[in-house]
Amino acid sequence: MSVSSQPQDVRHLETRLSVNLDRVGKIANAGIVLALVGSVLLGHFVSFYFHFLTVFLILLNLLNFYWRHVQKAHTLLSNFGFTAQLRYLIESVGPEFRQYLYSSDNEERPFSRNERTEVYRKAKGIDSSAAFGTQLDWESGNHILLRHSFFPTTTDKLEPFRVTFGEEREIATAYAISHPVMISGMSFGALGSHAVRALARGAKKAGIPMNTGEGGYPKYHLMEGADLIFQIGTAKFGVRHEDGRLHEGKLAELAAKEPIAMVEIKFSQGAKPGKGGLLPKEKLSQEIAELRGVPMGQDVVSPPRPLECVDEASTVAFIRRVQEVAGLPVGIKFCLGRSVELRRLVLEMKRQGVFPDFMTVDGAEGGTGAAPRSFMDGLGLPLLEGLARVQSVLEEEGVRDRLKLIASGKLIDARRQLIAMSLGADACYTARGFMLALGCIQALQCNQNTCPVGITTHNPRLERGLDIEAKSTRVANYVAGLCHNYVEMLAATGKTAASELGRDDLFLPGAHQGGAS
Amino acid sequence: MTNRYVQMALRLVVAAILLPVGYSKLAAGGMDVMLFERLGMEPHGRIIIGLLEITAGLLMLSPQAASGALIAVGIMFGAILAHSTVLGVDVGDGGRHVAMLTLVLVSSILVLYARRRDLPIIGTTLGAGDNRDP
Ligand SMILES: Cc1cc2nc3c(=O)[nH]c(=O)nc-3n(C[C@H](O)[C@H](O)[C@H](O)COP(=O)(O)O)c2cc1C
Repeated sequence: MSVSSQPQDVRHLETRLSVNLDRVGKIANAGIVLALVGSVLLGHFVSFYFHFLTVFLILLNLLNFYWRHVQKAHTLLSNFGFTAQLRYLIESVGPEFRQYLYSSDNEERPFSRNERTEVYRKAKGIDSSAAFGTQLDWESGNHILLRHSFFPTTTDKLEPFRVTFGEEREIATAYAISHPVMISGMSFGALGSHAVRALARGAKKAGIPMNTGEGGYPKYHLMEGADLIFQIGTAKFGVRHEDGRLHEGKLAELAAKEPIAMVEIKFSQGAKPGKGGLLPKEKLSQEIAELRGVPMGQDVVSPPRPLECVDEASTVAFIRRVQEVAGLPVGIKFCLGRSVELRRLVLEMKRQGVFPDFMTVDGAEGGTGAAPRSFMDGLGLPLLEGLARVQSVLEEEGVRDRLKLIASGKLIDARRQLIAMSLGADACYTARGFMLALGCIQALQCNQNTCPVGITTHNPRLERGLDIEAKSTRVANYVAGLCHNYVEMLAATGKTAASELGRDDLFLPGAHQGGAS
Repeated sequence: MTNRYVQMALRLVVAAILLPVGYSKLAAGGMDVMLFERLGMEPHGRIIIGLLEITAGLLMLSPQAASGALIAVGIMFGAILAHSTVLGVDVGDGGRHVAMLTLVLVSSILVLYARRRDLPIIGTTLGAGDNRDP
């Protein structure tokens, strides 16, 4: 495979580096100990000059010990020791190399270096001012922008953020959130236990809810006391009968648990719409098999839709059934395919008088732990397109006030979150934003159990470096940073709450907006 | 962590010992030549160590004291090796060498620890509050 025929190849440079790091790290860490012994012997029996090397190796071993077993701030150094320092060294000359040889700071996908750096900075609580001007490709002219006002609001005039799920049905268990961002569904299975606990603890610190993903009984999520949104995946792990139908008893039991605040029924996900979840057998441990109730040794493949939902009527009936059994706000998650189908579903909701308490609209650009590339690249509407259509259908059918809308799909910064809110979202989810906050380096190995920073792996050697307490602080910092930007940008638009934002508050390039706007 | 004045004093002590000791090595003082002969490192080893000692001593007085301390610690490790494997504690000076060595080693370690974040390249991994990718 030649580099010239595969221009994307260079972007995976990082991936290769971290793959090698795993083996190289092990050999190198043992190597410097052996080298030290050898050097002492040579110094003693051959020439004292060898002790120059001995001294160097003593210092290196001490430093390596500190990196691997004492410090907690750097996952890579914890996991691999001094060889990981190579990454930092290369990284320190990376901007030059990339600018001249590889890709620019705005080029990598899914998240460019600039975007990732923004998240890292927020997560570390570091001031994130930049200099000289935007680095976006301005000539391409296709950036959606927010419109500011001649008369920005002062931040103290802003209304505190508050969205209450379930208030439309006036249920006693209605659930209010006070931050615009929440942690999107990532199952234990896709994530390792350290990552789940760090996220849950961070969510608790930040005061935001966390979606459990479709991983079954949320054992690790429950450990940290954060508010949880329990996701019923298409296979209903954790709340299923053997044959895949809903186990009402188990759902009721879970829903009664204090931290579980809402339930989300998953219909589809942007990265693989029309296809069920997939957990590769490499990542299936005994524990996961038990929490999910599935056999070991084979890929865990979920069906493409909940068994009960064969058409509009059965789908709405299923939503009502879950609402009744759980007694909590219940929403549905999907990536939009055809608006007409959604309209038919909404008409059926109107006919039965049953509405979910929220809809989560996921975009085709959304993330996943594992999915066929053809699905990631080939199916589903992108978030903004999908969201705008869902909003239109709900408005045209006169039912927008019967439920809340949540958006997800690369909403990792306040700019994108406010754009989504201008298109109708009441709140935002992000999954990968929080992975980045945990220290994700976009090595793109979530499906291989080899994640070098210990997030999407169950290998204890790799998870060791992910210190739950240290990373949970980063999660909370990230939320604080997002909210800070959110408030300031919202104030700049001259509004007092995000709910006042509408499509007119966006500059949509390419749209024929006429002279008026 | 180490108080600024204590740190300053420690840096002065290390420089005050290393600079003359290094100079004496370069000037081929009798005692030095004798010791390095016993190590089988005469004259090159003596000159290299002398230069390193002077470098460390000067760095100790500069803003890069952390690097000076690191070099000093390295030389002292080497000296410990020399005394423990070849020379013995008393080299005909009643243990004065070893006493100085200990003083320099301890002082340098304290300075190195206090200023570890100033070290080039690795410094930012040795404490909280840096700004690189995780
Ligand atoms: C590692 C990983 C695991 C995920 N697991 C689930 C899941 O179990 N259920 C689900 O509905 N979505 C899952 N998703 C999708 C996210 O919840 C979210 O919809 C999508 O990533 C879009 O958000 P983002 O672009 O901010 O990451 C997962 C995503 C990632 C990256």
